[in-house]
Amino acid sequence: MSGAADREAVFPTRQSLGLMKAKLKGAETGHSLLKRKSEALTKRFREITRRIDEAKRKMGRVMQIASLSLAEVTYAVGGNIGFQIQESARAARFRIRTKQENVSGVLLPTFESYLTEGNNDFAMTGLGKGGQQVQRCRDTYARAVEALVELASLQTAFVILDEVIKVVNRRVNAIEHVIIPRTENTIKYINSELDELDREEFYRLKKVAGKKLRDNAALDAEMKLKREEKAARELAEGQPEVQEDASGPSDLLAAEEDEDVIF
Amino acid sequence: MASQADYKDRQFLAVIGDEDSVTGLLLAGIGHVTAPPDSQKNFLVVDAKTDNATIEAVFEQFTTERKDIGIVLINQHIADRIRHRVDTYTAAFPALLEIPSKDHPYDPEKDSVLRRVRRLFGE
Amino acid sequence: MGMMSPRIPRFPVDAKYGVSYLEGIVRGYRNGLLTGANYTNLTQCETIDDLKLQLGPAYGDFLASLPPNPSTSSLAAKTTDKLVAEFRYVRANAVGSLAKFMDYLTYGYMIDNVALLITGTLHERDTRELLDRCHPLGWFETMPVLCVATNIEELYNSVLIETPLAPYFQGSLSHQDLDELNIEIVRNTLYKNYLEDFYQFVNSHPDMVGTPTAEVMSEILEFEADRRAINITLNSFGTELSKADRNKLYPTFGLLYPEGTLMLSRADDFEGVRLAVDGIADYKNFFEAAGLGGGSGPGNMAGGTGSDGKTLEDMFYQKEMEISKGAFTRQFTFAIVYAWVKLREQEIRNITWIAECIAQNQKERIGNYISVF
Repeated sequence: MSGAADREAVFPTRQSLGLMKAKLKGAETGHSLLKRKSEALTKRFREITRRIDEAKRKMGRVMQIASLSLAEVTYAVGGNIGFQIQESARAARFRIRTKQENVSGVLLPTFESYLTEGNNDFAMTGLGKGGQQVQRCRDTYARAVEALVELASLQTAFVILDEVIKVVNRRVNAIEHVIIPRTENTIKYINSELDELDREEFYRLKKVAGKKLRDNAALDAEMKLKREEKAARELAEGQPEVQEDASGPSDLLAAEEDEDVIF
Repeated sequence: MASQADYKDRQFLAVIGDEDSVTGLLLAGIGHVTAPPDSQKNFLVVDAKTDNATIEAVFEQFTTERKDIGIVLINQHIADRIRHRVDTYTAAFPALLEIPSKDHPYDPEKDSVLRRVRRLFGE
Repeated sequence: MGMMSPRIPRFPVDAKYGVSYLEGIVRGYRNGLLTGANYTNLTQCETIDDLKLQLGPAYGDFLASLPPNPSTSSLAAKTTDKLVAEFRYVRANAVGSLAKFMDYLTYGYMIDNVALLITGTLHERDTRELLDRCHPLGWFETMPVLCVATNIEELYNSVLIETPLAPYFQGSLSHQDLDELNIEIVRNTLYKNYLEDFYQFVNSHPDMVGTPTAEVMSEILEFEADRRAINITLNSFGTELSKADRNKLYPTFGLLYPEGTLMLSRADDFEGVRLAVDGIADYKNFFEAAGLGGGSGPGNMAGGTGSDGKTLEDMFYQKEMEISKGAFTRQFTFAIVYAWVKLREQEIRNITWIAECIAQNQKERIGNYISVF
């Protein structure tokens, strides 16, 4: 691109002008849509970050309660069961699955915990002593892990939204600060070029008409009538004909908006 | 960006923690050992004798290599030992959660995600 | 609580058992146990450092090496060290039947240690690393030898040759059993055999039969047998332990044996257990209290909710402490050694509990310790 004004490299034709006007319209529509999307996502994002902050602080307490229930086990069993537990772990009873929620076209995952049936690697732990505390501790920790899973959902949504919002905002900014000004510049350029052409053409036609007037001054009356008809016709042909482009406007929105980001 | 196939098999949690944290979480039922001959565990007990290279290797295994883990829990004081690794982890899956341990209460100032939250809102 | 402070006048020197000097020592240890007033002070502490300071007079040097604000587990380890040091001192000075009696006391801990090594060997762990986890009171010189075993059969043979636990294995557990049975079944089988043997020992050894030692130890061991039978029954619900296998784990003595034990072997739920122990006033009361506090059974006693209600385990510990305290009202009995160890273990549990409540910022539950002095 040359010149002070950034514009697209197009020939200043009426066809280009049509294309550019359509593009500008598309860009403006796209901008407004993306802006709304960004606002919706940001609203959700702020809500999620607030909940993360709360949940992380609550987590400290939840884990303390769980820790104390493990202390109860140690108290009741009369010793540390850590090694035995580590060696007895076989198949996870507590598992997660992922669901998706659509927020303004962004699929956000939510972890959901579930328990597999009839599967307890530690059923007999503390059989002779402390078994009841072991089972209570198991339940207390299961509740703590549920809270952690919830937090993980929020955090994953946070990470994804953070990324998506950045992308959307980059697009909004690009449209606002690059595409729209450039398209507007291009339109201005085409208009000014077309105006120039119009002025040249008008001058040429005037010249042609003047010369012919002088050349044929001596012609007779019937010829004069014909000449006048001809000149009128030529003038009509030179008239700029507003041409609607058949290829249709380039849909900026379609071009700019990718498929929904799927996770 | 993750694809559909990337998360649907992620049904386990994993933990890197001190013995009490791991014991409690295993009691909750998250512990899983994959079929032999691999027999991979989804938990690592870290004590004073565990070196940082081991922690990092297991962190890598849980967050990158294994595709069946949806959430990785790590004690905050252990995350501190491989802080650079934790802070540069930004993937959505598996979710990485810093959790407190019995002897080290949770400090929100250190949490990599909370720090991101704060930076974003300029707090 | 302070109503009873047994001041045994002077012990006649009794060279045969070496009891007099050691009895004095052990009674001294007993007088050093924390009292209700001490515990009240401990519960006022805001930090573990405060707690450490409060424990200074009782534990002194043993806590000196702890870092500032130590972890609760290191505090528990150091307080245990003191018990172990004192126990070893008494054991080193004991001779004859007292020495043998004290060895019996250690077998219970040894069973837990061997169970740990069995678990480690089964999972092909380096069992030498497990030695740190073993209870020091259950330590025996040949324990490192057991760590040489690379498979369960070798371990089994080493245990038979190198440990006093051999009789508890023979006839009850084969080396295949160690491989196939849940470690808790192995542990409780050994424990049943141990309790029966200990009971037999105090009631048949010529130095003890018909003495206060036999009398007090019988009470203690009978209670322990009952407690385990009740616990095993309650904890077996919802597990793969069959009634027949469960029955094999009940000691064949105790207040519940044989009728109560028979009923236990048939019990299907908390109510069944309650009925089985109905004939023993203490247990009946425990179950009534536990039933009121925790709904219909242990399954409903899920933690996190009402924390003030005492659990069955709490009440068993309380009972154990009362029996142990009572042992000191008797003279010339080895039972005070046993009682002192149990009282000190409870003290360590109490300290650890209080420390945990402080560390986890849950002082509303800090009063759940058991103090009998």
